[in-house]
Amino acid sequence: MASDALKELLLAMADDELLLGHRDGEWTGHAPIIEEDIAFSNLAQDEIGHALLWYQLRHNLGGEDPDHLAFLRGPEAFRCCHLVEQPKGDWAFTIVRQFLFDAAEQVRLESLVRSSYTPLAEAAGKVRPEESYHWMHLHSWVERLGDATAESHRRMTAALASAFPLAFGLFEPLAAEEQLVRDGVFAGNAALLAQWLDLVVPVLTQSGLQPPAPQPQSGYGGRRGQHTPALAQALADLQVVRRLIPQAAW
Amino acid sequence: MTDTQWPAWEVFHQPGTGEAYVHVGAVHAPDAEMALQMARDQFTRRQPCTGLWVVRADQIVTNTQAQSEPFFARSMDKSFREPQGFLSPLKRTEKAKRGE
Repeated sequence: MASDALKELLLAMADDELLLGHRDGEWTGHAPIIEEDIAFSNLAQDEIGHALLWYQLRHNLGGEDPDHLAFLRGPEAFRCCHLVEQPKGDWAFTIVRQFLFDAAEQVRLESLVRSSYTPLAEAAGKVRPEESYHWMHLHSWVERLGDATAESHRRMTAALASAFPLAFGLFEPLAAEEQLVRDGVFAGNAALLAQWLDLVVPVLTQSGLQPPAPQPQSGYGGRRGQHTPALAQALADLQVVRRLIPQAAW
Repeated sequence: MTDTQWPAWEVFHQPGTGEAYVHVGAVHAPDAEMALQMARDQFTRRQPCTGLWVVRADQIVTNTQAQSEPFFARSMDKSFREPQGFLSPLKRTEKAKRGE
């Protein structure tokens, strides 16, 4: 099994989790209600914990350690998708983005627990219960906000219009895609995208929301290191303390 | 002014299989399903949990302040009812373990 291909997959997964965890964490102390403030902070910690797990698996195959990967790389070296880089926006955008991401996690982990690369299969098994709860929680939010009031419907529709096209970037093919599929590491992004659409579209429709038409390759670029300006801004916040005294021991 | 706050739900937490549910606090939530999720996020992050109950606070039947005095009054000596003279099974086991 080629370790470069595995490392590419793990980096994309880890970077997605780190950036989304960071963006979710921006709600700490600011969420619309105190209960959800804590719930979303939990969720942010979970995502960052998953990022650490994927960074560590990658590190086991050689290369930089998790702290270096998270805190000392520039934006061009990140492989996250554009969806997770975006500022937190309003509560509707936060909910829609997290919902679309958690659905992707459901189908991705379902494939990874059967991975031919055993350490990855085992780690996916560990992550899955937490991600299943995220999916349940976000499913509940989308169902309620979709048609609760005219304002919630309007905000959710606007959030979906901006987040849905970007979500296709979660499934941007990797350079080593064919090899990973051939080696049985995962099902491949094309297969996962189809399963993801089957999962999210019915929930959105039942919640009174109309998903925009799929746009092939929208939200692409992140897996090749091409990012929106929002990534550099997020990293400036995320990395500032670690970069202040580069030689400090933590 | 309209109250836009969601209803309050009292939360009961079970720390282990077979153990009693203990009241741990309250959450605001729009409905039962969300109340359970909110309770999960507030009250299970720092301790193990095998079960949660949520009960709408306005569904709990309680004595009113006016009723309390006669309701709970103990005018006569009823100390003979208080279980100080014997040990619960749990305490008996603990004592046996300590060799007392």
